[in-house]
Amino acid sequence: MIALTEAFSRAIIPAIAEDFRAQVKSFLGAALPGQPPHVRARTWSAFDAKFSRSLAERGWLGLTLPKRYGGAGLDAFSRFVLVEELLVAGAPVAAHWIGDRQSAPLILRYGTEEQRQFYLPRICRAEIFFCIGMSEPNAGSDLASVRTKATRTDTGWLLNGSKVWTTYAHKSHYMLALVRTSGTADDRQQGLSQFVIDLSLPGISIKPIMDLCGDEHFSEVFFQDVQLSADALVGEAGQGWAQTNAELAFERSGPERIYSSLILLDLWTHRVCRASSEPHEVRLGRLIARLAVLREMCLAITQRLANGDSPLLEAALLKDLGTEFEQSIPQEIADAVAADPDAQPDDELTRTLAYLMQISPAFSLRGGTREILRGMIARGLGLR
Amino acid sequence: MDNLLLDSFVRLLGQISPPEAVRRAEADGAAAHIVHEVDESGFLDALVPESKGGSGLSIADVVQLFFAAGEYLLPIPFAETMVARALIAASDAQPPRGRTIILWPSAPGGKLRSTLGPSGDSTSLALVQRDAEFRLLPIKLEERDADPFRMWSASPMLDATPLLQFTLAHVDLLHWSAAITAANMAGAIQRLLAMSLTQVNERQQFGRTLSKFQVIQQQLSVFAERSVSAQVAARIGLVGSELILDGGRVAIAKSVANESARVCASIAHAVHGAMGISEAHDLQLYTRRLARWQISFGSEAYWQKHIGQRRLQSKEPTAVEFVRSLLAAGPETAH
Repeated sequence: MIALTEAFSRAIIPAIAEDFRAQVKSFLGAALPGQPPHVRARTWSAFDAKFSRSLAERGWLGLTLPKRYGGAGLDAFSRFVLVEELLVAGAPVAAHWIGDRQSAPLILRYGTEEQRQFYLPRICRAEIFFCIGMSEPNAGSDLASVRTKATRTDTGWLLNGSKVWTTYAHKSHYMLALVRTSGTADDRQQGLSQFVIDLSLPGISIKPIMDLCGDEHFSEVFFQDVQLSADALVGEAGQGWAQTNAELAFERSGPERIYSSLILLDLWTHRVCRASSEPHEVRLGRLIARLAVLREMCLAITQRLANGDSPLLEAALLKDLGTEFEQSIPQEIADAVAADPDAQPDDELTRTLAYLMQISPAFSLRGGTREILRGMIARGLGLR
Repeated sequence: MDNLLLDSFVRLLGQISPPEAVRRAEADGAAAHIVHEVDESGFLDALVPESKGGSGLSIADVVQLFFAAGEYLLPIPFAETMVARALIAASDAQPPRGRTIILWPSAPGGKLRSTLGPSGDSTSLALVQRDAEFRLLPIKLEERDADPFRMWSASPMLDATPLLQFTLAHVDLLHWSAAITAANMAGAIQRLLAMSLTQVNERQQFGRTLSKFQVIQQQLSVFAERSVSAQVAARIGLVGSELILDGGRVAIAKSVANESARVCASIAHAVHGAMGISEAHDLQLYTRRLARWQISFGSEAYWQKHIGQRRLQSKEPTAVEFVRSLLAAGPETAH
């Protein structure tokens, strides 16, 4: 536990990354049309290829990738600043989000030189978008029981199976998938491998699934006798589980695990609290205090990423606390706005609140459920 | 903070402040030997500049010492004395040796700005603040039974002749008292977690150790999360320069430490069962203090209101920008 504490020691955004913030702010001020808050609240769930390309034109995708692969060669703190500004503005960033956050670093770390040269520059130019193929119809939190199978052929691999709840598979070009290459589901973490799958290949069908807000942000993907070339394998066959874990440190550690409800918090602050401050000060202060602590923790993990570490346990801890915070915002504000049934409702506030009240249960499901994360922390505490 | 320094402090705490020593000090309020050992170690002068005979450490440097004092329930006002000595030195006076000092922030009317008074020991003096005026006064140690948490609450003899008197602008003792309390709480919570882990690894029920039950594992994960939160929050509070803390930072520290204490003490008691309620078990040494600290120098509601008001007064368009500007002063700007 002492080690866990030290893992969260204070980190400071270097001046060079902080200086970058002004550029991002001025771009966002001009680039984002006057979208209403209930639309901006969708932020990293909102897909807008054109917006992602406009970031790419500025060299802001693949910020931490080496320049020789089309990246900017900056550190994790510059990426933190960019991501923070995008989320606070409610920018529609889903198109490039997954490729930029985890697929590109994964390919950089485990891919062959040919794979790096093919995929990374295209990710940086927003020409290709990625989705993550983890969950399956019978493998959710129990990820090690995936059954989608790739069998070796003379020319590569033959893929059969399906993935589900895959974020924006229906709008992506590639899927980075965890599939079984040997043994059966009973072999658990053994015999899993990662593939980058071209979603335009014959034998792949994708069906969007409507979510409870009426949006289509995730989908079902079916693979029937899909022929993958040999170079679709990423890293080593059989090392898929370890590689996926390294990927999850990127997936779980960013400010998006804290900031998903901030558009609502800011809207409520401006429209309600400023109008009648007295009854809301304590509630507002409670949320701000938690936000401040979580942001410091996120910076501490960013420091670890900048050092080249893979802080999986710390990321699990931050994600569990961060999503609890994101989920508490709509609950707190729901309680506050309906405290007076005789007050005149604010339509935009109600819409934004309603969206987050409905979607926020997903915050502690996507990217690893609360229960799985707590299980990981328990293992870190030596209890499992 | 130099690890060697922290290690030597922790070693000292292991010798002078094991649970038996904490119990003895609690029983009679006499901690002169502990005060003597700590004073000899030099740690009480850590914040006094080197030019005035101290170690010249920054506030951020000593946070770990405050955590450690909380972890060992060091039964003297350790961090308070360290800060009081630095304030006295800043006024160009000589801090008294061999005595501890409690902090006594008072309201314009003279009342202590806390629901409960600080606890002291047989050597304590009190540094009383009223506006910019500071007085070092002798104290009266109440009977142990007078304190609702059975500690030795101390109060200054306000009519006595001050040992020292000085003025300092911009220093707010309430900020110090609350920030120190938050750090002590974070340290005590960390020890409670270690005790709870030991308990669930040893205790058997239904033929298995408690640690094998998922429900227990999940609760201890939450405990660990809140323990880390309290420490990160306390570190946010203890950043400043010229011995001046920022009220907004302190508000984050104390409110989050309080929230963590509530969750963690509850889980600690749950996993210890009825034995944790007994006086004989050391658990109560920690949870009794945590409860007392929760209502000392402002609860969550007080400090949350402080931040809420600051947020509403600020012109920053978003919560994140507000937090960033509030926390902008880093340790590199600490004195």
